[in-house]
Amino acid sequence: MRLRFIETGYSSAAFNMGLDEGILNAVAEGRSGPTLRFYAWRPRAVSIGYFQGLEEEVDEAACRSRGVDVVRRVTGGGAVYHADELTYSVVAPEGHPLAAGSILDSYRLLCGGVVEGLKGLGIDAAFAPINDVVADGRKLSGNAQTRKRGCLLQHGTVLLGVDVDEMFALLKVPNEKLKGKLIEDVKARVGSISNSLGRPFGYADALPAFKAGFAKALGAELEDGEPSPAELDDARRLAAEKFGDRTWTAKR
Amino acid sequence: MKGSFVGKAKGGKLLRLSLEAEGGVVKAVGVRGDFFAHPEELFDELEASLVGCPVDELGARFGAGAAALGLTVYGLLPEDLDAAAAAIRASNAGE
Repeated sequence: MRLRFIETGYSSAAFNMGLDEGILNAVAEGRSGPTLRFYAWRPRAVSIGYFQGLEEEVDEAACRSRGVDVVRRVTGGGAVYHADELTYSVVAPEGHPLAAGSILDSYRLLCGGVVEGLKGLGIDAAFAPINDVVADGRKLSGNAQTRKRGCLLQHGTVLLGVDVDEMFALLKVPNEKLKGKLIEDVKARVGSISNSLGRPFGYADALPAFKAGFAKALGAELEDGEPSPAELDDARRLAAEKFGDRTWTAKR
Repeated sequence: MKGSFVGKAKGGKLLRLSLEAEGGVVKAVGVRGDFFAHPEELFDELEASLVGCPVDELGARFGAGAAALGLTVYGLLPEDLDAAAAAIRASNAGE
Protein backbone atom coordinates (compact mmCIF):
# COMPACT_ATOMS: atom_id res chain seq x y z
CA MET A 1 0.00 0.00 0.00
CA ARG A 2 1.24 3.46 -0.92
CA LEU A 3 0.66 6.49 1.21
CA ARG A 4 1.64 10.09 0.52
CA PHE A 5 3.77 11.44 3.37
CA ILE A 6 3.95 15.16 4.06
CA GLU A 7 5.74 16.96 6.84
CA THR A 8 4.67 20.56 7.30
CA GLY A 9 6.65 21.62 10.38
CA TYR A 10 5.39 24.29 12.76
CA SER A 11 2.25 26.30 11.95
CA SER A 12 -0.56 28.18 13.68
CA ALA A 13 -3.50 26.27 15.11
CA ALA A 14 -5.94 27.64 12.52
CA PHE A 15 -3.66 26.67 9.63
CA ASN A 16 -2.97 23.23 11.07
CA MET A 17 -6.67 22.44 11.36
CA GLY A 18 -7.30 24.07 7.98
CA LEU A 19 -4.73 21.86 6.26
CA ASP A 20 -6.14 18.66 7.78
CA GLU A 21 -9.53 19.64 6.37
CA GLY A 22 -7.99 20.81 3.09
CA ILE A 23 -6.37 17.39 2.65
CA LEU A 24 -9.66 15.72 3.51
CA ASN A 25 -11.42 17.80 0.85
CA ALA A 26 -8.77 16.87 -1.72
CA VAL A 27 -8.95 13.15 -0.91
CA ALA A 28 -12.78 13.26 -0.91
CA GLU A 29 -12.74 14.82 -4.38
CA GLY A 30 -10.12 12.41 -5.71
CA ARG A 31 -7.54 15.18 -6.18
CA SER A 32 -5.12 13.60 -3.68
CA GLY A 33 -4.40 10.07 -2.54
CA PRO A 34 -4.45 8.72 1.02
CA THR A 35 -2.12 10.83 3.12
CA LEU A 36 -0.10 10.77 6.33
CA ARG A 37 0.92 14.19 7.61
CA PHE A 38 3.26 15.13 10.50
CA TYR A 39 3.17 18.61 11.98
CA ALA A 40 3.71 20.79 15.04
CA TRP A 41 2.34 23.97 16.59
CA ARG A 42 3.78 27.50 16.74
CA PRO A 43 2.57 29.40 18.64
CA ARG A 44 1.65 26.80 21.23
CA ALA A 45 -2.06 26.05 21.16
CA VAL A 46 -5.06 24.60 22.92
CA SER A 47 -7.50 22.63 20.78
CA ILE A 48 -10.93 21.64 22.01
CA GLY A 49 -13.16 18.86 20.77
CA TYR A 50 -16.09 19.64 18.49
CA PHE A 51 -18.64 19.02 21.27
CA GLN A 52 -16.92 20.94 24.04
CA GLY A 53 -17.97 24.33 25.35
CA LEU A 54 -15.24 26.94 24.81
CA GLU A 55 -15.88 28.97 27.95
CA GLU A 56 -16.11 26.02 30.28
CA GLU A 57 -12.96 24.31 28.97
CA VAL A 58 -10.52 27.12 28.19
CA ASP A 59 -9.19 30.09 30.16
CA GLU A 60 -9.07 32.38 27.15
CA ALA A 61 -7.53 35.29 29.04
CA ALA A 62 -4.66 33.07 30.19
CA CYS A 63 -4.17 31.81 26.61
CA ARG A 64 -4.11 35.36 25.27
CA SER A 65 -1.63 36.62 27.86
CA ARG A 66 0.66 33.64 27.28
CA GLY A 67 0.42 33.83 23.48
CA VAL A 68 -1.34 30.49 23.11
CA ASP A 69 -3.70 29.89 20.14
CA VAL A 70 -7.16 28.44 20.77
CA VAL A 71 -8.93 26.37 18.11
CA ARG A 72 -11.97 24.10 17.86
CA ARG A 73 -11.34 20.82 16.05
CA VAL A 74 -13.70 19.14 13.57
CA THR A 75 -13.24 15.98 15.65
CA GLY A 76 -14.69 15.10 19.04
CA GLY A 77 -12.68 14.28 22.13
CA GLY A 78 -11.18 16.47 24.81
CA ALA A 79 -9.15 19.63 25.19
CA VAL A 80 -5.47 19.27 24.28
CA TYR A 81 -2.53 21.52 25.07
CA HIS A 82 -0.20 21.40 22.05
CA ALA A 83 3.35 22.39 22.90
CA ASP A 84 6.14 19.84 22.89
CA GLU A 85 4.64 17.22 20.62
CA LEU A 86 4.51 15.59 17.24
CA THR A 87 1.04 15.67 15.71
CA TYR A 88 -0.04 13.41 12.85
CA SER A 89 -3.08 13.16 10.66
CA VAL A 90 -4.23 10.37 8.39
CA VAL A 91 -6.82 10.84 5.63
CA ALA A 92 -8.12 7.93 3.55
CA PRO A 93 -11.31 7.20 1.60
CA GLU A 94 -13.75 4.97 3.46
CA GLY A 95 -13.22 2.11 1.00
CA HIS A 96 -9.48 2.10 1.72
CA PRO A 97 -7.93 -0.65 3.93
CA LEU A 98 -6.88 2.04 6.45
CA ALA A 99 -10.55 2.87 7.03
CA ALA A 100 -11.80 -0.72 7.12
CA GLY A 101 -13.89 -2.18 9.92
CA SER A 102 -15.46 -0.43 12.87
CA ILE A 103 -14.33 2.89 14.31
CA LEU A 104 -12.52 0.99 17.05
CA ASP A 105 -10.77 -1.21 14.45
CA SER A 106 -9.44 1.81 12.61
CA TYR A 107 -8.44 3.56 15.84
CA ARG A 108 -6.46 0.45 16.74
CA LEU A 109 -4.84 0.20 13.31
CA LEU A 110 -3.88 3.88 13.03
CA CYS A 111 -2.82 4.27 16.67
CA GLY A 112 -0.56 1.34 15.82
CA GLY A 113 1.66 3.87 14.05
CA VAL A 114 2.21 5.64 17.36
CA VAL A 115 2.67 2.34 19.22
CA GLU A 116 5.27 1.09 16.72
CA GLY A 117 7.09 4.42 16.75
CA LEU A 118 7.36 4.23 20.53
CA LYS A 119 8.44 0.60 20.45
CA GLY A 120 11.19 1.54 18.00
CA LEU A 121 12.48 3.91 20.69
CA GLY A 122 12.43 1.10 23.25
CA ILE A 123 9.21 2.26 24.93
CA ASP A 124 6.78 -0.59 25.51
CA ALA A 125 3.53 1.08 24.47
CA ALA A 126 0.04 -0.25 23.79
CA PHE A 127 -3.26 0.97 22.37
CA ALA A 128 -5.77 1.81 25.13
CA PRO A 129 -9.35 1.96 23.76
CA ILE A 130 -11.12 4.11 22.79
CA ASN A 131 -8.48 6.56 21.67
CA ASP A 132 -5.27 6.59 23.73
CA VAL A 133 -1.80 5.08 23.63
CA VAL A 134 -0.19 4.32 26.99
CA ALA A 135 3.16 3.08 28.25
CA ASP A 136 3.89 2.03 31.80
CA GLY A 137 0.44 3.24 32.89
CA ARG A 138 0.93 6.71 31.45
CA LYS A 139 -0.83 8.26 28.46
CA LEU A 140 1.64 9.31 25.77
CA SER A 141 -0.78 9.93 22.91
CA GLY A 142 -4.38 11.06 22.40
CA ASN A 143 -6.19 10.54 19.12
CA ALA A 144 -9.45 11.64 17.51
CA GLN A 145 -11.21 10.29 14.45
CA THR A 146 -14.12 11.32 12.29
CA ARG A 147 -15.70 10.28 9.02
CA LYS A 148 -16.64 13.06 6.66
CA ARG A 149 -17.40 13.35 2.95
CA GLY A 150 -16.77 9.63 2.51
CA CYS A 151 -13.33 9.83 4.13
CA LEU A 152 -11.71 8.93 7.40
CA LEU A 153 -9.73 11.65 9.17
CA GLN A 154 -7.77 10.76 12.27
CA HIS A 155 -5.40 13.13 13.98
CA GLY A 156 -3.48 12.60 17.17
CA THR A 157 -0.63 13.78 19.33
CA VAL A 158 2.54 12.17 20.57
CA LEU A 159 3.80 13.82 23.73
CA LEU A 160 7.51 14.57 23.47
CA GLY A 161 7.54 16.57 26.69
CA VAL A 162 4.79 17.49 29.12
CA ASP A 163 4.13 20.47 31.39
CA VAL A 164 1.00 19.69 33.41
CA ASP A 165 1.13 22.94 35.42
CA GLU A 166 1.18 25.03 32.24
CA MET A 167 -1.65 22.92 30.81
CA PHE A 168 -3.83 23.61 33.84
CA ALA A 169 -3.00 27.31 33.69
CA LEU A 170 -4.70 27.31 30.26
CA LEU A 171 -7.54 24.83 30.75
CA LYS A 172 -10.46 25.02 33.15
CA VAL A 173 -11.47 22.06 35.31
CA PRO A 174 -15.03 20.91 36.12
CA ASN A 175 -14.54 21.45 39.84
CA GLU A 176 -12.20 24.24 40.95
CA LYS A 177 -12.11 22.88 44.52
CA LEU A 178 -10.63 19.60 43.30
CA LYS A 179 -8.14 21.24 40.94
CA GLY A 180 -5.10 20.44 43.11
CA LYS A 181 -5.97 16.76 43.26
CA LEU A 182 -6.78 16.65 39.57
CA ILE A 183 -3.38 18.12 38.69
CA GLU A 184 -1.68 15.46 40.82
CA ASP A 185 -3.78 12.73 39.12
CA VAL A 186 -2.87 13.99 35.66
CA LYS A 187 0.82 14.21 36.59
CA ALA A 188 0.64 10.54 37.56
CA ARG A 189 -1.30 9.47 34.46
CA VAL A 190 0.34 11.47 31.65
CA GLY A 191 3.87 10.90 30.44
CA SER A 192 6.15 11.91 27.60
CA ILE A 193 8.87 10.40 25.47
CA SER A 194 11.49 12.65 27.08
CA ASN A 195 10.46 11.38 30.52
CA SER A 196 10.44 7.75 29.37
CA LEU A 197 13.85 8.01 27.76
CA GLY A 198 15.36 10.20 30.47
CA ARG A 199 16.72 12.65 27.90
CA PRO A 200 15.37 15.52 25.82
CA PHE A 201 13.60 14.21 22.72
CA GLY A 202 12.39 16.82 20.25
CA TYR A 203 10.30 17.09 17.09
CA ALA A 204 13.28 16.51 14.76
CA ASP A 205 14.16 13.34 16.70
CA ALA A 206 10.56 12.16 16.52
CA LEU A 207 10.13 12.51 12.74
CA PRO A 208 12.18 9.48 11.59
CA ALA A 209 11.05 7.36 14.54
CA PHE A 210 7.34 7.82 13.84
CA LYS A 211 7.71 7.76 10.07
CA ALA A 212 9.17 4.26 10.50
CA GLY A 213 6.49 3.38 13.08
CA PHE A 214 3.59 4.33 10.79
CA ALA A 215 5.13 2.60 7.77
CA LYS A 216 5.46 -0.61 9.79
CA ALA A 217 2.08 -0.52 11.51
CA LEU A 218 0.13 0.39 8.38
CA GLY A 219 2.15 -1.85 6.08
CA ALA A 220 2.60 1.22 3.91
CA GLU A 221 5.24 2.50 1.58
CA LEU A 222 5.51 6.20 2.41
CA GLU A 223 6.10 8.45 -0.57
CA ASP A 224 7.54 11.83 0.36
CA GLY A 225 5.37 14.63 -0.99
CA GLU A 226 4.12 18.12 -0.43
CA PRO A 227 0.67 19.58 0.10
CA SER A 228 -0.69 20.58 -3.32
CA PRO A 229 -1.22 24.28 -4.11
CA ALA A 230 -4.98 23.65 -3.97
CA GLU A 231 -4.70 22.03 -0.54
CA LEU A 232 -2.65 24.97 0.72
CA ASP A 233 -5.15 27.49 -0.70
CA ASP A 234 -7.97 25.56 0.94
CA ALA A 235 -6.05 25.45 4.23
CA ARG A 236 -5.48 29.22 4.20
CA ARG A 237 -9.11 29.89 3.36
CA LEU A 238 -10.32 27.57 6.14
CA ALA A 239 -7.82 29.07 8.58
CA ALA A 240 -9.19 32.55 7.89
CA GLU A 241 -12.89 31.84 7.47
CA LYS A 242 -13.45 28.91 9.81
CA PHE A 243 -10.80 27.90 12.31
CA GLY A 244 -9.59 31.44 12.97
CA ASP A 245 -13.13 32.78 13.22
CA ARG A 246 -14.84 33.19 16.58
CA THR A 247 -18.17 31.98 15.15
CA TRP A 248 -16.59 28.54 14.87
CA THR A 249 -14.38 28.61 17.95
CA ALA A 250 -17.21 29.74 20.26
CA LYS A 251 -20.01 27.78 18.57
CA ARG A 252 -20.52 25.75 21.75
CA MET B 1 -36.46 23.26 36.41
CA LYS B 2 -33.14 24.60 35.28
CA GLY B 3 -29.60 23.49 35.89
CA SER B 4 -26.51 21.71 34.68
CA PHE B 5 -24.76 18.44 35.28
CA VAL B 6 -21.09 17.58 34.90
CA GLY B 7 -19.92 14.03 35.34
CA LYS B 8 -18.43 10.96 33.78
CA ALA B 9 -20.91 9.29 31.45
CA LYS B 10 -21.48 5.54 31.60
CA GLY B 11 -20.41 5.66 27.97
CA GLY B 12 -16.95 6.58 29.24
CA LYS B 13 -16.47 10.26 28.47
CA LEU B 14 -17.29 13.48 30.32
CA LEU B 15 -20.85 14.77 29.88
CA ARG B 16 -21.93 18.34 30.53
CA LEU B 17 -25.70 18.68 30.26
CA SER B 18 -27.45 22.04 30.54
CA LEU B 19 -31.20 21.72 30.80
CA GLU B 20 -34.14 24.05 31.17
CA ALA B 21 -37.64 22.58 31.39
CA GLU B 22 -41.15 23.77 32.11
CA GLY B 23 -44.06 21.46 32.94
CA GLY B 24 -41.86 18.45 32.25
CA VAL B 25 -41.03 19.63 28.71
CA VAL B 26 -37.54 20.62 27.53
CA LYS B 27 -37.26 24.34 26.74
CA ALA B 28 -33.49 24.48 26.19
CA VAL B 29 -30.80 21.84 26.21
CA GLY B 30 -27.04 21.67 25.65
CA VAL B 31 -25.14 18.39 25.39
CA ARG B 32 -21.40 18.99 25.61
CA GLY B 33 -18.32 17.00 26.53
CA ASP B 34 -15.35 15.06 25.22
CA PHE B 35 -17.33 12.29 23.56
CA PHE B 36 -17.27 11.52 19.82
CA ALA B 37 -20.09 11.61 17.29
CA HIS B 38 -20.07 11.79 13.55
CA PRO B 39 -21.17 13.35 11.29
CA GLU B 40 -20.56 16.10 13.86
CA GLU B 41 -22.90 18.65 12.28
CA LEU B 42 -25.85 16.27 12.61
CA PHE B 43 -25.28 16.15 16.35
CA ASP B 44 -26.10 19.88 16.44
CA GLU B 45 -29.36 19.03 14.67
CA LEU B 46 -30.11 16.18 17.09
CA GLU B 47 -29.46 18.43 20.09
CA ALA B 48 -31.83 21.09 18.72
CA SER B 49 -34.52 18.44 18.09
CA LEU B 50 -34.64 17.63 21.81
CA VAL B 51 -36.37 20.95 22.53
CA GLY B 52 -40.06 20.23 23.10
CA CYS B 53 -39.46 16.65 24.19
CA PRO B 54 -40.70 15.44 27.61
CA VAL B 55 -37.78 15.44 30.07
CA ASP B 56 -38.62 11.84 30.95
CA GLU B 57 -38.02 10.81 27.33
CA LEU B 58 -34.74 12.69 26.84
CA GLY B 59 -32.53 9.61 26.52
CA ALA B 60 -35.02 7.70 24.37
CA ARG B 61 -35.45 10.68 22.01
CA PHE B 62 -31.69 11.15 21.82
CA GLY B 63 -31.12 7.48 20.96
CA ALA B 64 -33.92 7.34 18.40
CA GLY B 65 -32.87 10.67 16.87
CA ALA B 66 -29.25 9.55 16.54
CA ALA B 67 -30.35 6.35 14.81
CA ALA B 68 -32.72 8.22 12.48
CA LEU B 69 -30.01 10.71 11.49
CA GLY B 70 -27.38 7.99 11.00
CA LEU B 71 -25.17 9.39 13.76
CA THR B 72 -22.46 7.25 15.32
CA VAL B 73 -21.90 8.25 18.96
CA TYR B 74 -18.94 7.05 21.06
CA GLY B 75 -18.42 7.60 24.77
CA LEU B 76 -21.97 8.72 25.55
CA LEU B 77 -25.10 6.57 25.99
CA PRO B 78 -28.77 7.67 25.82
CA GLU B 79 -29.21 6.64 29.48
CA ASP B 80 -26.44 9.08 30.45
CA LEU B 81 -28.78 11.93 29.47
CA ASP B 82 -31.54 10.50 31.67
CA ALA B 83 -29.18 10.13 34.63
CA ALA B 84 -27.94 13.71 34.17
CA ALA B 85 -31.50 15.04 33.87
CA ALA B 86 -32.47 13.15 37.04
CA ALA B 87 -29.51 14.70 38.88
CA ILE B 88 -30.57 18.17 37.75
CA ARG B 89 -34.16 17.49 38.85
CA ALA B 90 -32.95 16.26 42.25
CA SER B 91 -30.79 19.34 42.79
CA ASN B 92 -33.76 21.56 41.83
CA ALA B 93 -36.03 19.72 44.27
CA GLY B 94 -33.49 20.21 47.02
CA GLU B 95 -33.36 23.98 46.58
